[in-house]
Parts: sequence; structure tokens; C-alpha cells
Amino acid sequence: MLKRIEELIGTDCPDLPSLLDGLPVGVALLDNEGHVLMLNKALEAMTGYTREEVRGLPCRHVLRSRACLQDCPHGKDAAPGVGIETDCINRHHRKIHVRITPVRVLDGNNRPICVLDVVEELTALREIEARLSQVADHGQIVGRSPAMKKILGLVPVIAQHDTPVLITGETGTGKDLLAESVHKASPRSREPFVRFSCGPMPSELLDAELFGRMQGPDGKLKTGRFQQAQGGTLYLSEIADLPLSQQSSLVRFLDEGTIVPVGAGKPMRASARLMASTAESPEKLVQEGRLREDLFHRISAIRLHLPRLKDRGEDLGFLLHHFMGHYATRFKKNIAAISPKAQRHVYAHDFPGNVRELKNIMEFAAMVCSGDTIRTEHLPMHLTDDAETEAPVRPVEKSRKAGRKNTEER
Amino acid sequence: MERRVLITVAKDEIAPRFDLTTEALLLTISESGEIVLRKSFLLAYASGDELCDLALSRDIGTIVCGGIEDEYYHYLRWKRIDVIDSVMGPVERVVSRLTEGTLKAGDILYDRATEKK
Repeated sequence: MLKRIEELIGTDCPDLPSLLDGLPVGVALLDNEGHVLMLNKALEAMTGYTREEVRGLPCRHVLRSRACLQDCPHGKDAAPGVGIETDCINRHHRKIHVRITPVRVLDGNNRPICVLDVVEELTALREIEARLSQVADHGQIVGRSPAMKKILGLVPVIAQHDTPVLITGETGTGKDLLAESVHKASPRSREPFVRFSCGPMPSELLDAELFGRMQGPDGKLKTGRFQQAQGGTLYLSEIADLPLSQQSSLVRFLDEGTIVPVGAGKPMRASARLMASTAESPEKLVQEGRLREDLFHRISAIRLHLPRLKDRGEDLGFLLHHFMGHYATRFKKNIAAISPKAQRHVYAHDFPGNVRELKNIMEFAAMVCSGDTIRTEHLPMHLTDDAETEAPVRPVEKSRKAGRKNTEER
Repeated sequence: MERRVLITVAKDEIAPRFDLTTEALLLTISESGEIVLRKSFLLAYASGDELCDLALSRDIGTIVCGGIEDEYYHYLRWKRIDVIDSVMGPVERVVSRLTEGTLKAGDILYDRATEKK
């Protein structure tokens, strides 16, 4: 059979090698036993082997794909022509994400002559996917934990209505981003999203900042945040920091849809959607008299709680890689991985600053890292006080003892 | 001085990938090229990490394997373990080459399918 295919390549069809070389994807021509007859140029570049070197070798040693070793598609009757996404390791120790599609070549009598393994490199595709996921549907907020999935699933629903939203969660959990995500998913997304931090400020200035001020003898209005957010969304962060008098003005806005600018004789209509957030428990704030109960009940018509990063399970690892990719792109670096030891340092941290703190850590690490892997020495000092200089790359350093238990001598 | 060599194995050939290996052969080779100890190990699951741990705990000086990812390759080199990688062929031929002291990275020790015919 092999001779027959060689004849086909060498004499009957002399242009086959140049035809395969012209293809932009990798192609391995295999006999029916899975031995390599030739590689095209694209696959030579991908694997690091020339066709002469690997001629006659079992394809599992040349492609070295996970699929070859765990679920070899050759010799199976089912699903020829269906691609398998897997990874390969080339001669230069590089792991490459690929899709391998085996195609059987049959003769006129429907007998198999050979197999073409079409190997497409997915690295570029994976990078694009990663970049796109950064600007996913929900603004910039991302998460894979069940708690976050539930919240992100609610965003499009909540966005369709003008009901006030109260977002709670510790500092750095992403309250502002979530508010922005709701706005972006809403019919108001083309209108402004105005964020106002209710920090300490003289009461009259605060009134003017929020509701606007009538100026001069001709009564010209200097716009406040409500006017700036007209048709859009006004997001008040740390609403409990607002003095009670401004809180009562918000109650009026929520009841009547009107506000009274400073110096104005009569109320004016405002059409902003109101969202607010607090890092503390709103019930506790009401008990302490820092949040008006009537405002609390109105603003919390929809209430979303963002969990602490430590309570978000798999999100820690996911966000770590998400921010690593984000800052690698931003700083134009080829950072592709974080060493297991550095990762352990990050995982061991308590993250009182939640996602914001993780983001800052990864920004620092990406800034400092000059290679392709973030190592312990690239992490901020407070994470690695007791760390010593680390191995160039250490695979997950699990407990040796546990490893020994799994290793049987024969 | 004796050398301790760990060979990653799949059936009777060198495992094509280090990280997907579940069997390993440990050889202690004397200075004269004699095999003084031969032991097989079976891992509970394929794991490059377990293999690294095994190599370190057994004072391995050389690892013979097929394809190996950068991460493991540099780690083992950093731990002063020689890595003879991208070796293809039946285990016994590899062992012969090892005892002769002629095995090198990238060696292909198969009879080619084309040569058979």
C-alpha cells in the first residue's frame, strides 16, 4: 500500500508535493497505518521536522498531539473529516494549539489509499478570542464562578427596564463596572453614563453638583449630574455618604421624576435612570441612620450583591490570566504564562482589595516581567516577603508526598 | 561513576510526549556501560509534574523522552538533569545506545516503514 501511494506521489501525480506545499495549513500525508509519507512546508515549520527526517515514522511521534495519544482518530470508522481541537508539542518544545482534521483519500473502488491530516494552528485564533473576551457583552466585567454567572445572566434582563438598581459588595469587587455593564446593555446605552462619587462635600456644593444651579440674572442653568445623565444613567457610588437632605431629594426624584436645581423656584423633570452602590450592608446603614429607609426601599427595587474575590472560587485563576493577557497586550509584551510558584503566592493572598487588588498585582507583574513568564520576583514585594529566587519554570509543585503515593514501583 | 537514567515509556517505545507519560523506566548504568539496576514505574495518571518529582526524588542525572514542553525542559535543566529529548524508537534500542554512550537528542531509532517495504 505504501509503495502505491509513493508511486502516486512520485510519478502518477508529480505535482502533489508542490500542491500540498502551496497550502496555507499544515498537511501530513499518512499511509493507512498512520506512518508519515510526507509533510507539507507549513507542517514542517510547525513541527520543526523536515519531511525527509520523519518519512516512515508513526505520526504520533511527529505531531505529538494529545489527540494522537489519547484518542487517535486513525483507524476509526466514525466521523472522518471532523476536526479535533488539541495541542501539539513541536521539536523546539513549543506547545501549539491546533485543529487536526483527518481526511481519508479513497480510490475509484472506494478503497482507502491514504489519509491527509490537515493541521490548522489555532494560536492566533486563541489570542483573538482572548482579546474579544475582554470586551465581552457585559462591558468589561467578567467572571466564571457560578455567583458571577448568575449576576451576568441578570444584566440583560435588568438593563431593559428603568427600575433603580442597588449594587452592594466590598471595595474592589466591581460595583462600578457592573453598573456600567447594565447601562451598556440597556436601551440607554447611546446616552451618557454619569458616575458620581458621593464623597464628603459641602452640602450646597453637593446640591449644585447633583441637581445643577441657576446662575446669573437670566437664570441660566449650570448643569448637574442629573442633567448630564439626561436620557442615560446616573450612578451614585457610596450612596450612604450622601447627607440625608440630598437623600430626601433622591426620594423625590424616584417618586416624581423631578429635581430642584439650586436657586430654581420650581422642580424640573429629569429622565436619568438611577443606580447606586455601597460597600456596606444597606440594612446596617439604615439601622445606623446613615441611609434613609424610604430611599433604601426605593433604590433597592433591584439589588445585586457582588461576592468577595476569595468567595468567587475559580474566578481567581480566571481573572489572573485575564489581567495577565490584558496587561501583556497593553505593555506590548509576550507574556504567556505565570509560573506555578508565583501563582501559588497569588492564590495564598487574602485580597482585601478584591479584584482591583488582583488587577494591580498583575499590572505590576506585567510591567516588571521582561520574559514570557511571570515569576515570583515579578510580583509585588508584599506577596513574596518570604520568597526566594525561583526556578526558571517549575511545573505545579504539588506535595511530593502526595506524588509518591501515586507512584507505584513495579 | 554510576549514572541514573529515567526513560519515559509507552508500551515498548519511547513515549511521544513527556507530559502524557504514564510509564517510566529507571536504569542505573555503571561506568563501564553495564546496567546494574532496572526498574519500571507506573504513574497513576499522566503527569509531567509527577515525572519531575520522580526524577528529583531518585537523583536522576539524565532523562530520555520524546516531545517535551519548554516548561518542563527548562525546569529539569535548571535542576541539573540532562534531557535527551525528541528521541523516537523502541525502548531496547534506546537502552543499547545509552549503554554505549551514543544516544543524543533527536535520535530516531525506528526502522522506517518505507525501508521495510
